[in-house]
This record gives sequence, structure tokens and C-alpha cells, in this order.
Amino acid sequence: MKFQPDIGTPIPRVDAKEKISGAAAYINDIDMPGMLYAKTLRSKMAHGKIIKRHYPTLPEGYAIIDYRHIPGTNIVKAIYEDWQIFPVDEVRYIGEPILLVVGENKDVIIDILEAIEITYEEMEPQFEWIDSVIHYHYEKKHGSRPFADANRIIEHTYETGYQEQAYIEPQGMIGYLDQDKMTLIGSIQCPYYVKNAVLMALGWENERVRVIQAHVGGAFGGKEEYPSLIACQLAMAVIQVNKPVKLIFEREEDIIASTKRHPAQIAMKAAIDSEGHIMALKVHVGIDAGAVIGLSGVVLSRAMIAATGAYTIENLDVTGDVYRTHSVPTGAFRGFGAPQMMFAIEMFMEHIARNLGKEPLAYRMAYVAKQYDLTATSGTFRDPILMQKMIEEAMKRSRYEEKALQYQNLHRYQGIGMSFFLHGCGFTGSGEATTIKAKVRLRREASGVVHILIAAVDMGQGVRTAMRKLVAHMLEVPIDQVIYDLPDTDCVPDSGPTVASRTMMIVGGLVARAAQRLGMEPQIAVEIEETYHQPSEIQWDEARMQGDAYPAYSWGVNVVEVAVDPVTGEVSVVGAWSVYDVGKAIDTLMVRGQADGGLAQGIAYGYLEVMRHHQGKIQQRNLTDYIIPTAADMPPMETYLFDNPYAYGPYGAKGVGELTLVGGAPAIAKAIEMAIKRQITKIPVTPEMIMELMTHGED
Amino acid sequence: MVEARIPHSLQEALILMSQATYTIVNGATDLLVQKRSWSGTIPKFSQPPLYIRGLKELDYICERSGMLEIGATTSLETILHHPKTPKILQHIILTMASPAIRHQATLSGNIQNASPAGDSLVGLYLLDASIVLHNRHHERVISIQDFIVDVRKTMREADELITKVVLPIDKFSQCAYTKVGPRKTDAIAKVAFGGLIDIENDRIRDIRIAFGAVYKTVLRSRKIEESLMGKDRSAVPEMKHVLLEGYASLIQPIDDQRSNRWYRKTTALNLLEAFLDSISR
Amino acid sequence: MAKIEWMLNGTPISSDIDLSMRLLDYLRDHQHLKGPKEGCGEGECGACAVLIDHQIANSCLVPMANVAGHEVVTIEGFAKTKRYQIIAQAFIDCGAVQCGFCTPGMIIATESLLHHQPQPTISEIKVALSGNLCRCTGYNMIIEAITLAAKRGRGEW
Ligand SMILES: Cc1cc2nc3c(=O)[nH]c(=O)nc-3n(C[C@H](O)[C@H](O)[C@H](O)COP(=O)(O)OP(=O)(O)OC[C@H]3O[C@@H](n4cnc5c(N)ncnc54)[C@H](O)[C@@H]3O)c2cc1C
Ligand code: FES
Ligand code: FES
Repeated sequence: MKFQPDIGTPIPRVDAKEKISGAAAYINDIDMPGMLYAKTLRSKMAHGKIIKRHYPTLPEGYAIIDYRHIPGTNIVKAIYEDWQIFPVDEVRYIGEPILLVVGENKDVIIDILEAIEITYEEMEPQFEWIDSVIHYHYEKKHGSRPFADANRIIEHTYETGYQEQAYIEPQGMIGYLDQDKMTLIGSIQCPYYVKNAVLMALGWENERVRVIQAHVGGAFGGKEEYPSLIACQLAMAVIQVNKPVKLIFEREEDIIASTKRHPAQIAMKAAIDSEGHIMALKVHVGIDAGAVIGLSGVVLSRAMIAATGAYTIENLDVTGDVYRTHSVPTGAFRGFGAPQMMFAIEMFMEHIARNLGKEPLAYRMAYVAKQYDLTATSGTFRDPILMQKMIEEAMKRSRYEEKALQYQNLHRYQGIGMSFFLHGCGFTGSGEATTIKAKVRLRREASGVVHILIAAVDMGQGVRTAMRKLVAHMLEVPIDQVIYDLPDTDCVPDSGPTVASRTMMIVGGLVARAAQRLGMEPQIAVEIEETYHQPSEIQWDEARMQGDAYPAYSWGVNVVEVAVDPVTGEVSVVGAWSVYDVGKAIDTLMVRGQADGGLAQGIAYGYLEVMRHHQGKIQQRNLTDYIIPTAADMPPMETYLFDNPYAYGPYGAKGVGELTLVGGAPAIAKAIEMAIKRQITKIPVTPEMIMELMTHGED
Repeated sequence: MVEARIPHSLQEALILMSQATYTIVNGATDLLVQKRSWSGTIPKFSQPPLYIRGLKELDYICERSGMLEIGATTSLETILHHPKTPKILQHIILTMASPAIRHQATLSGNIQNASPAGDSLVGLYLLDASIVLHNRHHERVISIQDFIVDVRKTMREADELITKVVLPIDKFSQCAYTKVGPRKTDAIAKVAFGGLIDIENDRIRDIRIAFGAVYKTVLRSRKIEESLMGKDRSAVPEMKHVLLEGYASLIQPIDDQRSNRWYRKTTALNLLEAFLDSISR
Repeated sequence: MAKIEWMLNGTPISSDIDLSMRLLDYLRDHQHLKGPKEGCGEGECGACAVLIDHQIANSCLVPMANVAGHEVVTIEGFAKTKRYQIIAQAFIDCGAVQCGFCTPGMIIATESLLHHQPQPTISEIKVALSGNLCRCTGYNMIIEAITLAAKRGRGEW
């Protein structure tokens, strides 16, 4: 065998050159002959009955597309099917799309939009969290019964706000008819989600819808289910005008109307025995779905399953509710419920220790999960857990102990915080086996060139590079002999959506298995297919939320150091250190890219990114007011990786993408707590909140 | 219909302005945001735009008879790097927008935009700047404090162009400026504070204090400043309480999507206090 | 409509054009230069950045009237230079590209910086990038790339 460097050794990203030179075509860079434009008319009311629509007489070549043009079902196919493509007679949130105006000249389109009059009868909007549309409950061992024997009960409630994905490329798509095939090119994360949604909306047969991915300028979950809505609307328009139609969101409509991270309120209660040990936790997770339930149930269950974070607690009683309100729908965002929960549990463990007068770090360490412990849902952590060593490493690299000691004792408004966390890789429960059923193919041509046929989307995380590298490495061929085009549903099988940190571990695992078989195949021109099979030891009872929620877990430790300006309450992030166990890095530079970017989003979620609505109206409506970090806001970041290969992942790889976000918020919140010596229960920890706490808060 | 124009000289600009009402467009960094409609469409001006940014005769910074003069089309970035620019103005401009914006944006645009959060205004109030306006026939010189009347309202008449900003060159032994924004760079102020002081033999020869974004215009009180003039620096601590109260009664911030009233006021006063503390030290 | 004379990517052109048209629209829709991207249309993100007289500007906020008499270079034009090669290679080597949507703007910001300050400090780099948002990288790898480009390109700027 010839010499092969370690798989993790970085290689140049395959699409870097075309992206740097501006040649890579994102959706808005594509024009087609005869192409028309579409623009959306949106509800200005949080809740109202549409009693009259007045449409102006349209000039030739212009069309208004609304619910009447939907040949199939007026529902966007997603997990919970309550998302209307266009409302019929009731609007349920500000920004809800009511219709599209389509035509050639944008100025004429604007004139038409301005001439349209929608008469509403205002209805009472609901913004309180009282309309529970999904309720889940699970217990571990004795559930909440130990509370009866508790020596002391400690409780705190934690709150998290909206977070906007703020991909730099706004949502967009082009639709056209190719013969009689509806074709959609878009900035999307999940080609088959889009395809299936359009199939249902049109009521057409499978062959007549084709979805192609354009280069994606960032997604972070925001292009998981939302593009399906745009695609359905666009498909209606394309049928009406029989020409290509382009729909690109303006930044403001993207911010006010597209899905964001669910705001959450998490009530935590601990039963403490006479020695100060945690006997049981009672947790309630409430999340705001906005006007559409969509994926919210899955977000809720991921949050609930993560109730104990990286710790093992013997008895648990966990409940959760998805509340429907008349605000903008929330949906997928990197972490998918886990960032909210990880903030709550990490702060709560700290607060329990402090309330008991114990040293928080030692107290938390004692509960960190170990191999063969039962998970929150009474599954088993089967694989080795390296957390003790990882924590030591993080402490050494950041000089945590020395700094913590110093900052705790001096009143210099400096602080350092450390979070422990995990993230379940892949779909929750048996989702991979029962709903997704991923399928991948490798095709080798007579020339020896190998095509990777999967529907995974490169949205910046580098999957095109990683998959090609993986296959090239396994087959011991140069990477340029391995081809992986932007997915097109006419060419690739459904390997599932590009979500849930599943792509490398699950899809990559299948690709690796296919590559292995291909390597042994004597015939040159051949095609190999692999489908997903759940490892038999993984068992999940959906209804009772019991068993192994995930086949594997990635683990992490974040340390964040801050300085707070006591005059203004402003926070400076001084340093950040991370240690991760992602099984095995397929490319260490790319993992670092995920680590830096994820942590930046996680930290910013904790202290910077403010979004609120007032009576259903989003207050921060553009990138001037919705603040994401600039280069000056982010500290140098150091990342260390621990190898801990997972048996079913390619070369042992597990999930990376989401893990790197979930620990940022609690780490910075703890650092700020140390700096201002006040208890924090809400994020984002804004200067306004810090000033308020320093003036009125308690220790 | 009157059309958009690019005048080739100041004279031509003023003649055009005497004949019709134009929207003056300078660096366009405020206007193109305000007039924006949909990507790919022409921004909509209700009056024809007059594009003056190319007027070379207004693109300068120079010292003339003890005053610093800044022409109306000089970019913020040019002002930032000019050796004669007062330190406080440099500090301020460095906190404004980003290099890309600063290369296009101008001081006269920031002045005429007259936003309560317009950053340069704090510096211009502190430096006692004068605004020079021209129409076809006259020249007027107005102090910045008089020029800015209210939120987005100035003394400019429709046929007048701001041609330059004039700054007296004064000596200060200490200069303080803090812009509190939602992030470190490229952000709109929640609160801004600027202070200038000149101390000779422990006596306060000159002191100037201004706040941004806590009132409809920049807040500067000459009355309070006068109470400090000529005092020994050691007298400041005992006056602090009265000074803080004085400003507290003037500060009237608002609640909005960027911050709230209480925070703005508390922070403004904290910044003042820190500045006062630095005097006696 | 009026006539303006200017330079685009090294070529003098005279355009009969609506003076209020945004430079970004002119480049993308009339010249098919799709390198400058629209991320916000409000001067916040820097995805639309171009060089005007060697200095970074957001083309979404530049009316055509304001390019009269000036030289505009887009990423497509800059890509023909040796300095571009140095910067691009540094971005590749440092893993500074993820989704790539911010990248052309980042390259323009880098050139604008190095043109004036060939050996920038980290804090000068952060100032130079302050109008270029990146949601993918957390910036560190971009800062490293710029540092590396400055080092490799000694004498080029
Ligand atoms: C992303 C971004 C960030 C920003 N950040 C900041 C910031 O941090 N701080 C801040 O203060 N501002 C900020 N601004 C606002 C803006 O950049 C400044 O106000 C800038 O100084 C405006 O100058 P301009 O030449 O571009 O003005 P223009 O947009 O050309 O004009 C602004 C107004 O002034 C008038 N005007 C311009 N010149 C003259 C003249 N010579 N005579 C008479 N009237 C005139 C115009 O008619 C218009 O009403 C930001 C803007 C953007 C887009
Ligand atoms: S598109 Fe011009 S700065 Fe964002
Ligand atoms: S690489 Fe995606 S925004 Fe910068």
C-alpha cells in the first residue's frame, strides 16, 4: 500500500477558488432567458380575517398568484403539516405571505403591489404562551418522586430569546418548466424536502419535479424547511406564467418573515438531599412556535432529551410544550433546541452549587456523564466518554483555574466561564431508520472517475471537499478523480436532508461503506448503492421518549473569557478555548472552521444578538439593528480535538456542525456572572441587562 | 421635468439650486438607504437628485487664519487620516460605520442628516464648529448648535448648500470620547459622550461636555460648563453631585429597538462621572 | 439619463445611464459581473464591496453619478492581478472560505487594507474588516489569511 497521510490532514477546499474569484453561482447570480421576477405581498396584521381582496387590472404579462392557484394541497409538507402555502381567509402573523406578483419589470410589480388592497377584520392576536399544541413528557427511573424526600428544593427559570440565522445570502429560488417538468434551483439545505413539498402542492407525479441546489451562501438551519414554502409558491407562479421566475428575498423580508430560533422558557427544579446531592430534576421546557408548528415538536423533543446536558442525573421528570402564538414562525437553527436547553442546564448546575455554598466546578464535575451511564431517556452512553480529560485540557489551555481564582476574588470586572455539553448526532430516535432511510450511490465510470451521488448540500461546512476526500482516501485515488456536483434530485438518490449533524456520520458512513465495496469491485464501470440500517442495539420508544435517542454523541468543552466595562455594561470577549470530541476529524482545518464559526454564533447568542417582537412585529428588521458580530467582536479562538472514533462513522467521524454552537452561550453567561458577581438567568446578556443587574440584581 | 444632475462646479450647483428644488446627494450613504426600494430598481427620489460628491473644489481640509476648514465633499476617511484633524474628531470618525462607508460618506451629509445618533455632531458641538452655507447670492455662517434645530431638522434653506465646516483650533490637555454601540464596530450609537478639557496650572481653563443619542439633538450645556471654568481641578469632586444632577435633568432619551431610556440615561451619567473623576486625578 | 465617463476593471467606459442607479445593479445586471453580491442593500454586510480608486466601497450605496471620473475594480478585475493570487492562496491555505458569499468582499477589503498598510497589525485588520460580515467563520481564519498574505506579499504592495 502506498503512503497515505492521516485522513484529517487539511487539503484545499475544492470550491474555494471559484468562491474567492466570485465565479461560483449563487441563486441570485443565475439569470435565464425570459425570466420574470416575483415579489411577495405580506400581512401587516398579526391576526385577521381577510374579508376582501381588491386586485387591480393587470397589464399584459403580469400575474397575481394566490391560494386559488394551488392545484394540490395548500400545505407545505414539513413535519407537522399546518403551514399554508398561501392563506385563504385568515392571516396569522405579520409578514405572512399572502400572494406573489409576477412579471418582467420590477417597477411595475411594485406599482401592482401598491395598488392591491386587502381588507381585514382584525382578530385578537395571542402572544401569551398558553395555547399548547404539542405536549411531551418523559421520566427517568423514579421521575419526580424523590422530591417528596428532598432536604431542599432549588428552582430557577431560564429564558432565551430569538436568534436569526443571518446567513449573508438571503433566501432565494428560481423556478421554470423544462418540457413539463417543474424545475427549481435554490439556496437550499434539503433538495428532497423541497421536491416532496412541491410534489404535494402540485399533486404531480414524482418524475415531474426536479430540484437543483445552487451554491448556498450560508444556511444554519434557516434553509432547512423554509425554502419549501418559497418553492411551492414559486411553482404555482411558474405554472401560471409558463416562464422562469426568480424570487429573491430582500434582507428585511428575510428577517421579518423567515423562521428563527425558538424563544424558550425553561423551568428547572432540583431535589437536593441532606448531603447536597441532586436526587432528581424536574424540568419544563416551553418554546414559542409562532403561528406555525412546523418542526417545533422535533425542536422541543431535542431540547427535552438534552435536559441534563453533559451530566448524569438519576431521576428525572421532563415535560415540554410547544406554544402557538401570532408571531413569526420559528424553526430550524443549528442546534435545534439544544442551545436553549444547554444554557438552562449549565446555568442551573452552577446555580445549584452556589445556592448550596459549594465550589461550582467541582460540584459539576462530579455529575459529568461516564461511559455506560444511562442517558436522560434511559438509553446508554455506549462509547467512551473523554470529558474528564477534555475538561482538564480546556482548563490547562485557558489557564482557567488561575484566572478564575483571581477574577473571583478581585473586583475587576473580568470573568471566565466554562461550559460542558454534548450533542446527539443524527435524527432523534428512530428517525433515520423510519423516516429518512438514507440512500447513497457511488458510480465509477470506465475511465476510473468516481461520482458521489448524494443529496447532501455544501452550505459552507465543506461537505463537498470532505466527501471527495473521504472517497479518494479510501480508494487511494487523486481527489480530482472523484466528482461530487451540486445535488440535483434527477441525478442523486435521497440521502436525507443536510441537517442534524448527520451528514458526515450517517451519509459519510454510507459513502465510506460504498467506497469500501467499490474498492473490492473488480469491474471498473459499476454503481454501488448503500442504504441506512440502524445499529440493532439502538432502540427508541417514540411515544414514551425512552431509549437511545441518538446512535452517538459528540462532546465539547468551551471556555470563554470576558471583561465587562462597569461604566457602560459593555462586554469584551477576550479569549475562547474549545475542546471537542467529534470522533475523528475528516479534515482538521474544516473542523476548525466549524468550531470557530459555531462558537461565534453561540457566544453571540449569549450576549449580542437581540431580537424581540412587539405585538407580533419584529423590532430588529435589518442588519443595522439585528446585530451579529464583526471581526472586532470576536476573540482569538483555540480549538483542540480529541480522537474518539465511532464505530459506524467514516474513519470514526461523528457530528460537528451543531456541537460547536451549543456551548457558547452558557460559557459567556458564566464568565459575565463571574465578572459582575450577579446571577444570570436570561440570554442575551445585553449591556442593558448587565447595568440593571449591577444596579438592582442579586448575587 | 427636472432631471438628476451632476454639477461641474459649485457655481453651477448653486445656479441649479436657485432654479429648482433638488435633493442634494453627497456620499449617498444615508440617502440610498432611505430611498431604497427593491434591489434592481432605481432608488426613488421625490425631488431630482443633485450629485455633488464629485465637486473637487469642495474636497479639501486646510488651515486658514487659525481655523480648520473642511470642504463639504471631503470623505470621512480623508478627515480621519488628516494630520490637522482634531483628536476628538478622529476618535469619533474611527467609530463611525466602516472603511467602505467612510470612503464615500461626508461630514456635511452627517450634519444635514441631523440624526440624534449622528456621531460627528458630538465632536462638532464640542469644537464649536460653524457651518458655512451658500446659495446663489449669499453666504451664511451658522454655529452647529443653531444649525441643528430638531430631529432631522436644520436651518438649511432649500436653495442652500453646505459648502464647508469651520473649526476653531483650540488647545486641550485632555480629550475623552466614548460611543456605546451594540457592538465594537460598525454600529449606531445607543449613547455617546465627549469631553474636552484644558487645564493650566491645575486650573480649568476650558471645559466642554456633550452627549449624543440621549436627546433630540446633541446635548451641551454652556451654563453647566461655565460653572466649572476657572475652578481648580481639585474642586471637581465636591461639585460632582450637582453636575450629575444638572445633566440628569437635561437628558431625555427614548426607548427603541436598540436600547432603552433607563440604560441610556444611566450610562450617559456614568460616562460623565468617569470623565469628571479623571479631571481631579 | 446622462452620460458619465469612468473606468471599470481597467477599461475606460462611457455610460448613458440613470445617475441614480446603484453601482451594484449596474455591475450585476448590465455588466454581468456577479462577483459583488447583495447581502443587505444597506451598507452593512460588505458582500457588494468593490474598489473605487483603490479603496473599498459598498456598491449597493454608490449611485452611478458618484463613479463619474473614478476607477472601479470588481473582484473579477482584481482577480487578474498578482496581488489577488497572493491573497486568494492565503485564504485557501488558512481555511478562510466557507459558504463563500462574503469572500469576494473580504478579498476587496484585504486589498484595500494592504494597499494602504502593507504590514497591518491584527487590530488594523479588524478595523479594515469592520464593514464585512461573515456568518460562517467567526473571522479568525480570515484574519490569519490576511496576515499570511501580508507576509507572503512583502514588496508587492
Ligand atoms: C452601514 C452604515 C453605517 C453607518 N454608521 C454610521 C455611524 O456609525 N455614525 C453615524 O453618524 N452615521 C452612520 N451612518 C450614516 C451615514 O453614513 C452618515 O450620516 C454620513 O456622514 C452621511 O454622509 P453622506 O455624504 O453619505 O450623506 P448623503 O446620504 O449624501 O446625504 C445625507 C443628507 O445630507 C444632505 N446633504 C449632504 N451633503 C449636503 C451638503 N453639502 N449640503 C446640504 N445638504 C447636504 C442630503 O441631502 C441628505 O439629506 C451609517 C450609514 C450606513 C449605511
Ligand atoms: S449589500 Fe452592500 S453592504 Fe450589504
Ligand atoms: S464564508 Fe459564509 S459568510 Fe463568510
